[in-house]
Amino acid sequence: MKKIRLGIFKYSCCAGCQFQFFFFQEHVLETLGAVDIVYCKMGTSGGKKEGPFDVALIEGAITESWQVDELKKIREVSRFLVPIGSCAVNGGIPAIKNIYPEIEVEKRVYKDLSVIHSVKAHPVDEYVKVDGYVRGCPMGERELLELLTSLLLNTKPSFPEYCVCVECKLKGNICLLVAEGKPCMGPVTNAGCGALCPSHGRACYGCWGPVSDANAPALAKKFEQLGVSPDDIVRMFTQFASPRIEFRKGAEMYE
Amino acid sequence: MSEKVISIDYLARVEGETAIKINIKGKEPQELKLKIFEPPRFFEGFLVGRKYYEVPDIVARICGICPVSHMTTALRAIEKAMGINPSQQTRILRRLMSLSQIVSSHLIHLYMLAVPDYYGYPGAQEMLPEFTEELSRLMRMKKVVNDLTAAVGGRALHPVTSVVNGFTDFPSPQALEKLHQDLEKIEADAVKTVRMVSRLSFPNFFRKTEYVALKQVNRYAILEGNIASSEGLDIPGEDYKQYFEEEEVPYSMAKRAKVKARGSLMVGALARLHIKFDQLLPGVKKLAQEVGFRLPDYNPFHNNLAQALEILYGVQECRRVLENLKLSPEDNSYRIRAGEGGAFSEAPRGLLYHWYAINARGVVEKANIVTPTVHNFANIEEDMRHLVRQNSDLPEKKIALLCEMLVRAYDPCFSCSVH
Repeated sequence: MKKIRLGIFKYSCCAGCQFQFFFFQEHVLETLGAVDIVYCKMGTSGGKKEGPFDVALIEGAITESWQVDELKKIREVSRFLVPIGSCAVNGGIPAIKNIYPEIEVEKRVYKDLSVIHSVKAHPVDEYVKVDGYVRGCPMGERELLELLTSLLLNTKPSFPEYCVCVECKLKGNICLLVAEGKPCMGPVTNAGCGALCPSHGRACYGCWGPVSDANAPALAKKFEQLGVSPDDIVRMFTQFASPRIEFRKGAEMYE
Repeated sequence: MSEKVISIDYLARVEGETAIKINIKGKEPQELKLKIFEPPRFFEGFLVGRKYYEVPDIVARICGICPVSHMTTALRAIEKAMGINPSQQTRILRRLMSLSQIVSSHLIHLYMLAVPDYYGYPGAQEMLPEFTEELSRLMRMKKVVNDLTAAVGGRALHPVTSVVNGFTDFPSPQALEKLHQDLEKIEADAVKTVRMVSRLSFPNFFRKTEYVALKQVNRYAILEGNIASSEGLDIPGEDYKQYFEEEEVPYSMAKRAKVKARGSLMVGALARLHIKFDQLLPGVKKLAQEVGFRLPDYNPFHNNLAQALEILYGVQECRRVLENLKLSPEDNSYRIRAGEGGAFSEAPRGLLYHWYAINARGVVEKANIVTPTVHNFANIEEDMRHLVRQNSDLPEKKIALLCEMLVRAYDPCFSCSVH
């Protein structure tokens, strides 16, 4: 079998998705045997940044202009380009700052702003065409394996396109939202985690980002009925995917 | 006078993004900069205005390799600010998670990031198939310690059960028993790791520095204790700002911390062994002597050996903690109160500090985070200056490799350092 030529690029993020690739998933050695890592600074010295790549995996939100330039070049030399993890897919945690006025957040951290060139944090698909999304925070292990196997077999990968509630029901969990009145983001959050938080007695906080047919306004209303304050509702819908319209709709009802 | 230029645009095999720039005239490095260009994400900026209970989940995302440290340190700082005293059980579980993460982090760093240099490979992938045995050993060990973090935290990377004043769920007695057995099985692997690392030919380089680590009377401190140093510092965490300072650096996105009026410091595994070697378990101390680890040790490259020894300590200590661990659900209710609070912990890479001011509605008003790599930043540059001076006769390529290996020996995390 021909090895997949892989490029892994990191932008503004915690690098956890690369760690998921190299370390936290169970099939690291098999994966390394099946792919040819052409470029990955965190794993290997040297490497060919100019590609070409069968697939470029992009982690991190895009927050600086040089990243946009680089991203466009990668797109040109990659057959497939796939954002991995919440930051690249949805803007993630770095995009919390987008909800505040420009520079306000930056000047709380640095006195000298002349060296700061940060713009609002955006997901990868804001700037280039993408060929799919590997969701998760960190990216899902099953999703990663599905992507790699599909590439090897030349088939279309299949990712879950439904909400966390479905996984919760499959697990037989008692609904935290309905039965316990806990504000749970499960109904609007894309599945893949295996309903991790609800299975551990905790309401979902939406780290995988929105499912495509999310009805955030309805859920936001439900939160209000449960007694969640308007400010807290805004926070819930701006934590992991503030740039995404699906979550914005929930936040802007209470802004 | 001969001139040499060392220019590394993007240092490989470290967490995050940095460049190195050095100009050498004759023997003397004129300009020497660790240019940390990791893009800032402004955590301390956007945490302002968020609710206290969001903070642990958010700060976990500062780092993909030590999320437990950020999460746990933030939790403890928030608890301090709100006057909450978590139970003994909560503190034990946090220690277990932190230790398992230290082992996990050290394993990645040693096998995948640091060791390839010593064997002459560009990365771990290229070490296959020749080093299959070593890498299989790595996989066996990391599986067990990741399972342990996940058993307590729900997920090894970005855990979910760890919340203010406790945990939302607990591992079953069967799961704990299995982990106890698994830890026993990898102990031999941990010993082999120490021996493997002890045989690497570390560069012969020494420079005296000030080692800083947490210290407690009765145990190898990870989450609690005073801040102690090899130059006689022994202060409660509250006095941190009196003794340490943080400065902005024009060529770097990370800030740089120093001991006031003294200068650079080193934190991390080697610093910890300096401050509290006696508190390691007997088996670890014995092996340390056997492989020739002697204190004081002012060779920063030996941080790798210190990490290997901490792997063995972590495996044995986790097993010891699990031995008599009986868990039961607890009442973890609390009242939201306004206040300010800071907490320290030993992250895998060393001393980590989180501080928050929270108002009566539970909203964060101010946040400050100082990471291990910020503490080490000045020391890495100082070491590099001396290393370059000692080796200025070598060709540029060799000097560059030595500098890269030095930075890697510190196991820096530039994502953390900028945050």
